[in-house]
Amino acid sequence: MPGHSETHDTRPPAIDGDLTAVTERLRRITVQVHGSSGGTGSGVIWISNGLIVTNAHVARDTAAVVLPGGRAIEARGLAWDPEYDLAALALDAEGLSAADVGDSDRLRVGDLVVAVGSPFGLVGAVTAGVIHAIGPRRTAGSSFIRADLRLAPGNSGGPLADARGRVIGINAMIVGGLALAVPSNVVARFLAPLRYGAATVS
Amino acid sequence: MDALLSLSNDLAAAVERVRGAVVAVNARPRLPSTGVHWRPGIIVTADHTVRSDEDITIIAPDGRTVAASLVARDPGTDLAVLRVHDTDLPLADLGDPGSLKVGHIVLAVGHGPRVSWGVVSALGGRWRTWRGGEIDQLMRLDLTLYPGFSGGPLVDVKGRVVGINTSGLSRQLELAIPVSTVTRVADELIDKGHVSRGFLGVGLQPARLPEAFRRRLTGASEIGLLVVNVQPDGPAAKAGVLLGDVLVALDGAPVGATEDVQAVVGARRAGSTVTATILRAGAPAEVSMTVGERPSRRR
Repeated sequence: MPGHSETHDTRPPAIDGDLTAVTERLRRITVQVHGSSGGTGSGVIWISNGLIVTNAHVARDTAAVVLPGGRAIEARGLAWDPEYDLAALALDAEGLSAADVGDSDRLRVGDLVVAVGSPFGLVGAVTAGVIHAIGPRRTAGSSFIRADLRLAPGNSGGPLADARGRVIGINAMIVGGLALAVPSNVVARFLAPLRYGAATVS
Repeated sequence: MDALLSLSNDLAAAVERVRGAVVAVNARPRLPSTGVHWRPGIIVTADHTVRSDEDITIIAPDGRTVAASLVARDPGTDLAVLRVHDTDLPLADLGDPGSLKVGHIVLAVGHGPRVSWGVVSALGGRWRTWRGGEIDQLMRLDLTLYPGFSGGPLVDVKGRVVGINTSGLSRQLELAIPVSTVTRVADELIDKGHVSRGFLGVGLQPARLPEAFRRRLTGASEIGLLVVNVQPDGPAAKAGVLLGDVLVALDGAPVGATEDVQAVVGARRAGSTVTATILRAGAPAEVSMTVGERPSRRR
């Protein structure tokens, strides 16, 4: 129509933009981990000076870690926990982007969650879902988070984050189609005795 | 992150809003199913999960176990109605399924609560289940119905119940029974103990119509339905239908399979009239029949 300019809004809907932003944020804190005993999966940069959290079944002593930029670096195991399938690795690096850690005790059933990992070698793949169930609680925060979210083996050790992009769990296994993740508060308790950058491990 | 955060908050609030009306139903070995507090003291669940008629219990959201009795069941729509006494559970908020659109985000809620999310994958019209029940609207979901989710509510992002989920009506598809069907069937089960289905009292068998007959009946299908049994004193017998008549149309619509007859008659109320076009000794005739009620099958 002459004299009439139609305005096309080319911006993505707000929700798409948010999801993209959360994904980008998570990709910057997610590493690939190749354990010396053959395990492979993902890991989370927990502290900027090189503390990586992953699953014990991925790596628990030495491991080759591929940082988000593609740089490969050797990591050494600091501690591991068989009950929660957790391992802490240290690598010589400074100023890495580190996870913004959320409070897993405040999760509600139905909350939106996002996972990033390297399923089948596809680096930085994102999946979205919701919290499936909380508990049954033995002691506060001690049970795995269950999420209605699609995971693949390469997601092991990678982050599960809330709608703000805060890491609230470490993806650990797939049971009956559900994603099971170690709550961030359990990770914090596991890391506390290490006194690794004690100011930020709380 | 406002939009994503607000969706997350809405989904969690929807679960919070419905969870008080969601119970576990113990009516089969090992795997409890889910039920919804539909009317005061009335729990609706999926019929295929109610294996036993007695010793049924429900587990309230607060963990209390309460005895329940089976009011009635309708395998056709895969719905069963239970009664519980002295319940202070809140009632489910029933939504208007008419407001639901393909692509809307929905949650399936199991007892616990446990949830899965997804979208409304397809909506269709009225359909008949393989067990013969009449469902007002086809609601196909793209989400996972985890073990024990059957009988639980499908809720919209506001936490309003828009259907009852079941894996008992299709092996391939995740389906929900819309609120209108659940309410209609539950009310009928409570009032009468069964769901009435219209019935003519004839046994029919498909038979190919000779070309000469078909030319005389415009719009008839190639197949007619040969009357091979007439129930004494049934609606067809009262209308004068005879063995050997061939049914070709009901209310002007051609019938080429027995399912066509069930679709027309099953949905009719007892007492309504249906006009049958028949071939008798090669000549077309119209017979008016009063639809009867299918006698309930006692188990």
